[in-house]
Amino acid sequence: MNPLKRLRAPSTVLAALTALAALAALSACGSSASSAGSARIVSASASSRPTGPGTFPVTIAAPGGPVTISAPPTRIVSLSPTATEDLYADGAGPQVVAVDQTSDYPAGVPKTTLNGTSPNIEAIAGYDPSLVIAAENEGGLVAGMKKLGVPVLVEPPAATLPAAYAEIEQIGQATGHAAKADAVVTGMEAQVAADLKKAGTTHSDLSYFWEVSASPYYSATSQTIFGEIAGMFGLKNIADKVATAASGGYPELTEEYIVASKPQIIFLTDNDPGDGGQTPAIVAARPGWSGVPAVRNHEIIALNDDVAARWGPRLPQLVAAIAAAVESASKPGS
Amino acid sequence: MRKAIALGAAAVFLIVAALISALVGAADLNPVNVAAALAGQVPFVHVSSGLNQIDRAVLFQIRLPRIVAGALVGGLLAVTGAGYQGVFRNPLVDSGTLGASAGAGLGATIAIVYLGGLGPDVVPIAAFAGSLAGVGVASLAGVIGSARGISNGPATLLLAGIAVGLFLTAAQTLVLQQSTQVIQQVYQWLLGSLAGASWQQVTEILPYSAVSATVIMLHARYLDVLAVGDEEARALGIRPGLVRATVIAACALAAASAVAISGLIGFVGIIVPHVARRVAGPSYRIVLPLSMLGGAGFLVLADTLARTVVAPSELPIGVVTALIGSPAFIWVLRGTRAAGT
Amino acid sequence: MIRVSDLTVTLDRRPVLHDVTFEAVTGGWLSLIGPNGTGKSTALRAIAGLLRYTGTVFLDQTDVRSLRGRARARAIAYVPQEPVLPPDMAVGDYVMLGRTPHLGYLGMPGGRDCLAADDAMRQLDVTRFTERRLGHLSGGERQRVVLARALATQPSVLLLDEPTSMLDIGHQQHVLELVDGLRRSAGLTVVSTLHDLTVAGQYADTLVLLSDGRVAAAGQASAVLTEDLIGRVYGADVQVATGPDGRPVVSPVRKGVAGL
Repeated sequence: MNPLKRLRAPSTVLAALTALAALAALSACGSSASSAGSARIVSASASSRPTGPGTFPVTIAAPGGPVTISAPPTRIVSLSPTATEDLYADGAGPQVVAVDQTSDYPAGVPKTTLNGTSPNIEAIAGYDPSLVIAAENEGGLVAGMKKLGVPVLVEPPAATLPAAYAEIEQIGQATGHAAKADAVVTGMEAQVAADLKKAGTTHSDLSYFWEVSASPYYSATSQTIFGEIAGMFGLKNIADKVATAASGGYPELTEEYIVASKPQIIFLTDNDPGDGGQTPAIVAARPGWSGVPAVRNHEIIALNDDVAARWGPRLPQLVAAIAAAVESASKPGS
Repeated sequence: MRKAIALGAAAVFLIVAALISALVGAADLNPVNVAAALAGQVPFVHVSSGLNQIDRAVLFQIRLPRIVAGALVGGLLAVTGAGYQGVFRNPLVDSGTLGASAGAGLGATIAIVYLGGLGPDVVPIAAFAGSLAGVGVASLAGVIGSARGISNGPATLLLAGIAVGLFLTAAQTLVLQQSTQVIQQVYQWLLGSLAGASWQQVTEILPYSAVSATVIMLHARYLDVLAVGDEEARALGIRPGLVRATVIAACALAAASAVAISGLIGFVGIIVPHVARRVAGPSYRIVLPLSMLGGAGFLVLADTLARTVVAPSELPIGVVTALIGSPAFIWVLRGTRAAGT
Repeated sequence: MIRVSDLTVTLDRRPVLHDVTFEAVTGGWLSLIGPNGTGKSTALRAIAGLLRYTGTVFLDQTDVRSLRGRARARAIAYVPQEPVLPPDMAVGDYVMLGRTPHLGYLGMPGGRDCLAADDAMRQLDVTRFTERRLGHLSGGERQRVVLARALATQPSVLLLDEPTSMLDIGHQQHVLELVDGLRRSAGLTVVSTLHDLTVAGQYADTLVLLSDGRVAAAGQASAVLTEDLIGRVYGADVQVATGPDGRPVVSPVRKGVAGL
């Protein structure tokens, strides 16, 4: 791919660039004495969330190691669907020039054939990026882009809600939208808190089965972010008995164990036709499952497969869905 | 006499393996209750099992169909492997030969990647069709390859099968690259598993299994004749090409039926016939039925281990068959005469 | 009776046999002789129906071409020069393979088949090897077992391609005597290839000398085994004397070496 072809600069990007440059100049002039050298470190923990517009150059303490971005990135390539959602929620959409083949939200993102799990350095370079965001450092991505002088921000799957918030923040800092990122996170926290308050957090009498795939049956334990979220309501995960390091939070379970555990709620993340097609009706019809409480009481929840596989700004939707299931399952007579 | 004893022992092995398998599992059912429940199924026996409704469901709807499916798949894979070994006079072929495994893998991958919208039942059907198509293409390639001049019929066919298998596997990888999201789903299928086996699946493949296994075993004597080579077989009045085509077709159907339930499970088709030969001699009249019984028992045993050793988690059954199969294979090789099998 | 007329065989676009004609009477022994590569084995394989040929082969009054595979295999038993012997197969099972042409499509060996196989093994003195594996036999024992398989078929015609190449002089004589006795008592017609000219002359009542795929001479041993013919066809220097049974004895001669 001829890199020269990618050098067109739409007028909107020019306008954003000018605005950013102005902002940067203003903030640099008006920066307080505490930020010496106008370089700011953003850490990964939620407790030190800095506020204010982005100042460049900025060094981000990403989970994979510190990444320094010298100027507001005008050409961002995202190789992670979660990072894509984060970017657009943070208002950095106009700076995004290419997203990978599995990024599909929000509608209209510039989807390409780039592959996040086995990245092709040359193909990515063809988009002349100033910043690459990925969920994993596969195929020598970081080293390869380093040779081209392009920073790579690796934001791996978050295991907890605070870690997910921190990633949204980091992406905001890296793209010059720290304030917007703050607002997004604040909003998410509020929604989650509201759902928790309404549904209650003491439902330890309710157990659930989180289905990642069927035949063979893979599940997610409380070591994953999904298990952590469900645990916030007090729910018990039947897969937690298998908490070995090797399974990485996604163990394979024997069917008879699932049934014998009698879960009250079943969450399906494989109900999309292209993703496994296990709809609640199909699950209810599985031989031997009719006695399972979740089947008897119609507490089989089909989650949005994408929302339940990503750790981005739509997490509150997931929380809301789980909250609704919890409320329904804990009504008297269930 | 020795042959009858071997068959009897294999039958006993299968029954014992099935019984043990019925008594253990991740659901922690009380074995005594399980035994009582099973006994209650025998006509005219009235025993109360003490199992509650869910436990009964686990036993009869989840555990038992899995055992029966395991026996069926194991028997089919083993008899198919033995059949192919006889047809090709080659001890290194197994049930996936002639593109049967590669075709099934491609079919399943295409179904998972492109036909996901049609529901999860498409995958076994696609695997079944792909398996048969793989053997068809390989056979065609073999026929084309030997059309001109003198050729060693079975060796040419085998080589064609290898070439076609490699091609189909490459095609499968190509299809997979189109949609990296489903890589895990595809590889789970490829690893093979009896999880989710149901009575419905068993009854669906039962007719194909019965027909194909019967045809293979009826040709046992012909496989023995083929052992002395195509030319001498023809001098004895046999038509090697026809025998080969019939047995291959039956083996293809048997392998496709097995793959439709369980995905690709290796080792059974190559190891079990060899063990059968070691125990009871090389005549296919004993090797075929012995392989079937032995393969059934072996897979039931392997699946029992797969679903109990790390309960409530499971090991992929392909891993278990390899872990048991490799040392067994080496033991068999150690005893095989240097003159060959 | 076997009558071969104008047998022509082309292999790999190379003509191997040209218009070969000969006849063996019922209960007779015809031996094909000739140098290496002259088509002797090819002729046997053609009669056994293993090759495409032009010309005709008549078994008594029937054109062999019109016989279906199993019918032909019941009548004609073929023993190749290098038979395939699966090392792990038991002798008893191997000999029973000879009964294959008599068994129906899905048939299993019955009492009559067992009797025929046992009889054949007894005649070739291999009964004590019944349970032994083929890989555990000596060369001579194996050759007898192969013959037993052919005899188990109870054919009318026996085609033998170099049946005694692995046998010592004693076993060779024993086997050939056995075949001779069988053909006289059972009316078995024997067509063989034998490379030892004297032995061929001793047992066959008709010899057919092939040269370059054509019949160079045919007839009784004394007529075919002449110094002149052998010299011409084989390019060898020989002396032909008459043995005690009146049959020719062919001895190689070294020219230019003084007699002792």
